[in-house]
Amino acid sequence: MYAPTKTDNYPTQTSIDQAKVEQILAHHNPNYISPTLPNPHSPTSPTSPQTPQTPHSRPQRNEAKLNKQSHINFLARLLIQGFPDRYTSQDASQPWLIFWIVQGLSLLGVGLDAGNKQKIINTLLACQSPLGGFGGGPGQAPHLLTTYAAVCTLAIVGRPGPQGGWDQIDRKKLYAFFLSLKQPDGSTLVSPHSEVDVRGTYCLLVTSTLLDILTPPLSASTPSFIASCQTYEGGFASASQPYYSPYFKVRNESTLMSDPRPPLGEAHGGYTFCAVASWVMLAPLRPPSNPSSPPNPASNPQTSPSPRPEYPTSQFTPSQEEGPKINTRSLVRWLTSLQGSPLELGAFRGRTNKLVDGCYSWWVGGCFGVLEGLGIDGANFSHYSHSKAHASGGQGGQGEGEGKSEEDEWADDDDALFNKRALQEYILYAAQAPTGGLRDKPPKHADSYHTLYNLSGLSNAQHRVHPSAEVTELLEKNWVDTPPPSPASAPTSTPPSPPSKTEETEETFERPDIYLSKLPSESYEAWNARRKRIWMAASAWSEDESEGSVAYVGGSDNRVNASHPLFNLTITHSRGMLNHFYGQSFVVPS
Amino acid sequence: MPGDSVLYSERPEWSDIQPIAQYETVTPVAPIFYSDEYKDATGYFRAVVKANERSERVLQLTEHIIRLNPGHYSVWQYRWSTLLALGSSLEDELLLMDELATTYLKTYQVWHHRRLIITELGGKSNPARELRFIRQGLNVDSKNYHTWAYRQWLLAHFNEDALWEGELPFVEEMLDEDVRNNSAWHHRFFTVWQSGVRAGEEDREYTLNRELSYTKEKIALAPNNGSAWNYLRGVLDFTKTSYSTLRTFIEPYTAPRDESEPEVLDLDNPLPSKDAQLPCVAAIEFLAEIYESEVDNAKRAAELYRSLAEVHDKIREKYWNYRVGEALSSAGQVVAS
Ligand SMILES: [Zn+2]
Repeated sequence: MYAPTKTDNYPTQTSIDQAKVEQILAHHNPNYISPTLPNPHSPTSPTSPQTPQTPHSRPQRNEAKLNKQSHINFLARLLIQGFPDRYTSQDASQPWLIFWIVQGLSLLGVGLDAGNKQKIINTLLACQSPLGGFGGGPGQAPHLLTTYAAVCTLAIVGRPGPQGGWDQIDRKKLYAFFLSLKQPDGSTLVSPHSEVDVRGTYCLLVTSTLLDILTPPLSASTPSFIASCQTYEGGFASASQPYYSPYFKVRNESTLMSDPRPPLGEAHGGYTFCAVASWVMLAPLRPPSNPSSPPNPASNPQTSPSPRPEYPTSQFTPSQEEGPKINTRSLVRWLTSLQGSPLELGAFRGRTNKLVDGCYSWWVGGCFGVLEGLGIDGANFSHYSHSKAHASGGQGGQGEGEGKSEEDEWADDDDALFNKRALQEYILYAAQAPTGGLRDKPPKHADSYHTLYNLSGLSNAQHRVHPSAEVTELLEKNWVDTPPPSPASAPTSTPPSPPSKTEETEETFERPDIYLSKLPSESYEAWNARRKRIWMAASAWSEDESEGSVAYVGGSDNRVNASHPLFNLTITHSRGMLNHFYGQSFVVPS
Repeated sequence: MPGDSVLYSERPEWSDIQPIAQYETVTPVAPIFYSDEYKDATGYFRAVVKANERSERVLQLTEHIIRLNPGHYSVWQYRWSTLLALGSSLEDELLLMDELATTYLKTYQVWHHRRLIITELGGKSNPARELRFIRQGLNVDSKNYHTWAYRQWLLAHFNEDALWEGELPFVEEMLDEDVRNNSAWHHRFFTVWQSGVRAGEEDREYTLNRELSYTKEKIALAPNNGSAWNYLRGVLDFTKTSYSTLRTFIEPYTAPRDESEPEVLDLDNPLPSKDAQLPCVAAIEFLAEIYESEVDNAKRAAELYRSLAEVHDKIREKYWNYRVGEALSSAGQVVAS
């Protein structure tokens, strides 16, 4: 049961590092019984569980408890009192520090008082750059990653109106800033003169989705960039290298080649999360196969339930031949392969043959939530075999005989593709630091980053959040088109730039959003239809509260709030901000 | 240098600058308690940015801040555009980066700044020297993501045969040091398969066989090494080679060693090492996929997946059961069609 990783008696640095971690984690596993360790649960062992032979006291069974209060204290202390000098390394990530704390508190069910909310809003607005976007601190250059952190934090603590934070986001400049970072291969720089990677793509897509500035020019070629980052292992790399024909040296006049376009770096959990979530967020922008059908296959109430997920590939365009694809089969295989052994308490590692780390509870574990957006979860095949057995009247020669006995095998706690129970155990037994906060692994100290991503991973392992067909239907019914504004009601001091007069047809209208002047001519209906698709796809994610979808290791006292798999905000905060920026007022009934 | 420098506010040569406090009107949440040295230097940095000053002293100031906080991307950006504006020596800048990259190996910015310098130097740069520098970095941290990504960018960017030539021996050296280093395996895939076909490599059949032999040998050495198995699958998928072609090689890895059978030396299909801990999960999965691809063998595939779920790899029970369902359902489709 608790076998160490097989080394084939061929030690290398990797296996030596691995063995050290397994030894440490064994001390945190209440069920682990080793001949070299006295077992506190065995009636024949010494009565005191505090055995002096071991450097760490081994937790009791009843310690499968999320120490909520001490984590709340840990986060609140950082928010109010601040960070010591050694956090100077995070000076260019101040919106992140705030996001990790505030979203960590949201998951723990803690809201902030009006005074602290206002302080956070003011701090973040001080980080907004005059160039558009948010920087790592006041006076710093705008950056995609800190823009994500600032906007998501404002989703939690902000509100409409003066000083509320939401209407003070300069979306016109933000949109221009985003466009200025776009590269010809569909990637984006994370900041001027900075690197390209899929984290930037992810952060851009989250913020532009939430703020209603996601447009075709902004997402042009992004699917093919994402697809090119998938490696032979199934996960995604940080970026890919574009080659241009005929030679890269004259790239300005050349066209992007589809091959070679190699990934830079190996498959990695963090980049994979960003790539797959980006892929899902782009779905509402893909060319609709027919005008009336919603783009997301999983949230399309008109499509009869498809027994098979889109294996082996997820296509970006409806056509079977064209367009970029990702291989979801190798992706799922790689993701599941990263879950550690029982000795590692089921934690996730971020790359093949690296060590487990609590933050991958979200970056890798959270990917399984994102995959719901592609219609992929463990339920696919249980449903398939179920309906199959009925349809064929129990076709002989399949598996162990009858459909019934097979179904019994599926009857487990949940339909997840990974071991949700084991992951919760890692977080509860090993990732909680004794003095509050959560960590990479023992004996490391807790920090705000690992506190949030352990809690987010725990949330994902406790709940199933998916694009609900029912909610999609409600959203569809209740969407209200944004009317074309009358010139008098235009909220800005600068008048919208007039649409270009060339080649325009009867449908031209003055779009309320000044940033859209950069778009090619689009009819009023098409503009609203696209915004509706994006709003619906983002708002449809809901918690599945049916039996078997919720599982709390250690009991329901350990429950943390459910998180939106694409944004890592609670469902309420996500929908609240979406409604504001899309001009909607419909509240999904709970 | 950090620690022993005079504050800028006490230097006469900076007296023309009025430093700017970080938060002028706001009391921030989650404040960082900076050292006086850092607070002072960044106050002057904000002021020179506001004045758009490009000067030698800006280069000194930005270097100072980078040494205190190498993650300060705005300082890097401003330093870069200042270097260009002043026409400063990029060769000197590269020497400085040699030092900083070694100290701050884990920061994005040190590698990205290098990339900007090398790109700007273009034909005047020395990419071979870069490859040697990277090798030193990998001696310290053999799985550093940025270091590997930088190496791959460098090779693709210059795309010169002379640079590519050394890559295979280099990867083998890295894998000899640690056959479980997944970064090195990825680099091998990048070099051999994903960067185009270079002169001398046109015979892809030869390349495929060379890679299969190499990988089998490494699997035999330490069979429970996911990196080598993933590479093997990657090669087969990339070249659209059927998994079934490796059946003879795979089988001895799927069951406990049979001590009674005499060992036959087969160079194409190296046997597991004497100390191998068999059966090997990756081999069972591989064999199951071979069965799954065959017309009548779905049941055997399902049995193998089930053995992974129930015996050999229980942590992934859900996933393996999913594969059982998939194997049986696709078999159903074959029957139906
Ligand atoms: Zn971590």
